Amino acid sequence: MKRRNLLMGAASLATSALLLAACGTGPTPSAVPTPTEDPSGTITFWSALAGMDKVAAAFNASQSKIKVTFETIPNADSGGYAKLSTAITAGNGPDVSTIEYPQLPQFVSNGQVQPLDGLIDKSATVDKLAGEIRGMVQFGDKTYGLPYDAAPMVMYYRQDMLAKAGVEVPKTWQEFEAAARKLKAVAPNAYLASFNPNQVPATAALAWQAGAKWFGTSGDSWKVGVNDDATKKVAGYWQKLIDDKLVKVTQAYSDEWSLDLANGTVVGVIGANWSATGIQKRTEASGQKGQWIAAEMPNWGTPAGAFYGGSSFNVTKSSKNPAAAAKFIEFLTTDEEAIKARGNTGSAFLAFPGLTPVAQQAYDASYFGNDIYAVFNKAYTTVSPDWQWGPSWDLTNTALKDAYGNLSTGGTVLEAVNTAQAATVAGLKQNGLSVKE
Amino acid sequence: MALQAPTVPLRKRGAAPGRSAASGTGGRTAAIFLVPFFAVFAIAMVAPVIYSIVLSFYAQQKSGLGFGEAKTVFVGLENYFQVLASESFVSGIARLGLYCLIYIPVMVGSAVVFALLLDATVARARKLFQLLVFLPHAVPGVIAALIWAYLYTPGISPLVQALQGGGIQINFLDAHLVLPAIVNIGVWEWTGYNVIILFTALQAVPREILEAARVDGANEIRTALSIKFPLILPALGVIMLFTIIGTLQLFTEPSIIAKATPSITSTWVPNLWAYDAAFIRHNLNQAAAASIIIAGLAAILSLVVTRFSSRMNKP
Repeated sequence: MKRRNLLMGAASLATSALLLAACGTGPTPSAVPTPTEDPSGTITFWSALAGMDKVAAAFNASQSKIKVTFETIPNADSGGYAKLSTAITAGNGPDVSTIEYPQLPQFVSNGQVQPLDGLIDKSATVDKLAGEIRGMVQFGDKTYGLPYDAAPMVMYYRQDMLAKAGVEVPKTWQEFEAAARKLKAVAPNAYLASFNPNQVPATAALAWQAGAKWFGTSGDSWKVGVNDDATKKVAGYWQKLIDDKLVKVTQAYSDEWSLDLANGTVVGVIGANWSATGIQKRTEASGQKGQWIAAEMPNWGTPAGAFYGGSSFNVTKSSKNPAAAAKFIEFLTTDEEAIKARGNTGSAFLAFPGLTPVAQQAYDASYFGNDIYAVFNKAYTTVSPDWQWGPSWDLTNTALKDAYGNLSTGGTVLEAVNTAQAATVAGLKQNGLSVKE
Repeated sequence: MALQAPTVPLRKRGAAPGRSAASGTGGRTAAIFLVPFFAVFAIAMVAPVIYSIVLSFYAQQKSGLGFGEAKTVFVGLENYFQVLASESFVSGIARLGLYCLIYIPVMVGSAVVFALLLDATVARARKLFQLLVFLPHAVPGVIAALIWAYLYTPGISPLVQALQGGGIQINFLDAHLVLPAIVNIGVWEWTGYNVIILFTALQAVPREILEAARVDGANEIRTALSIKFPLILPALGVIMLFTIIGTLQLFTEPSIIAKATPSITSTWVPNLWAYDAAFIRHNLNQAAAASIIIAGLAAILSLVVTRFSSRMNKP
């Protein structure tokens, strides 16, 4: 065993040296078409985002050289990534894929997406992005996708229920807890929010906001901190809320969750810009129009935010026409027409500067009791920039989700993050990656 | 039609002399008939199994930060050791064992009872009961799981609500009750199917034996237990075989119910474990090893059941 570890260590050193060497000389430019070339042909585009069919159609109508064939795939919870990953490995994946930020490093690490360097006009695309969103798609000096949306985490509340409890919109987590208690006092069956075991990205975002760093690199090793001090603080906080029955533990998007929103059992939602549509859909029929408001997340003393969700578009390894695919991605992520074409399919908040107002125009936010876009804008400016996703998000995601399964039988959030930390480290090591805890 | 007409007599004529030498060409004829089966069997069964076995001996090794090409290395039985050493896989097998312990007696027991009752009822009602009992099996497994997920979810289910109205607080989806809840779906789905098999076996019981029993003064219950039941034991053996293999494949119901409750983990049963390994952890090699272990387990259990039931049927 010892000798094998040594050998593996040596091998990893050798490959990393090779990698470094490759980085030094840069990619072979001759093989990569330059963006000035005029690509043409037919490409396929897979996405689980609503309304992308209309965007593809708009692109097809706007020019005649590239024809995009769109296909809807299931979302992450329904096996969308399994489908994408398997298809790319089998060589029949799409040319353009939609991958959320947490999953992207994994696809990069598996060699399933191509770097866009040389395919896109960098100065007109990535260079214009804010640093914290650019970091989501760049790894080791290469760009592996263009960001579509930058989803700032926000809270949604029923303002009538806050008023009933006699509280203001909570600014800090301390105030949030106090508000939850006051709500409980006036409405014993109501909860200020739900804690969703199946939404690990929400836990990640809450930890991120508290200053946690789940993943980082140090030299040629990963540093994994799924149970770092900041995360432990967050875990303890939510455990207290769960124990005191101030938040309800339910699977997000389940029938129970929807019903709780509709009948006022749960009067707050941890979400992001994209949650607005779902809240409206689930509560409109029960006459809650005008009652829901968006608010910045409560914080730990100083304003801080995180991204909760958001997708990038990428050129897959199986693409035979990367130049055309890159051209389409540029359209998707930077062109106003792409945003207009999607119409009112969601309260999008986009990464590329200047596009969000276009999305805002297409979206009818009159259901909400305040200017939700103003809240998104504010929340976006507070996102902490030092977050990085790890090379195998699914590993952490599954481990934490599974560990949350014990919450109903005496398990704690803290135990769950400890389990997830151990599972992540063990899983990465099993894949041969170098890990420091 | 017009084209086919002349070929029919032609073939007949050609076949006529061959028949006299049937013993000589029998092997070839048999081979011709068997080829389609073995071709499909080889492509759809043998080849994937061999491929999985090969796959299970290799591993994708990355290094450093992992942002590089992974190397495929031969690791021998390492994948198997890793699967068997995985706490989640072993507890999945234990959970499956517990599932079998509840599921098989309940399902097979009620199938036997239903079949015997059906056999004893009058002819007209029999057809109706047969249909009613078989109906759940006509519902695809995924749909059945979705229906039951609805019936189990607190706050939505009329069932849970009715129980609450009666003063019974129950959450079918919590960590303790979710296993029986899934057993219930299996029982609901499969009892009817097995009733039909057993009932068919009962129909084949010679009527003169039953008449003899009646002449000897045996009542319906005595006839059912002492005459009919022993005579349908071979069919029961077949059912046990199918049930055990089917149980090892348990996947659909837990994966659907998992959407409604966090109590079902992503590695709840061995098949889910293999799925998770292949499509969530992207470790096809380990998934292959897990699948081979599950297949091996099914083979051993089938052997045990066939041995056991053939020994039971002999005397």
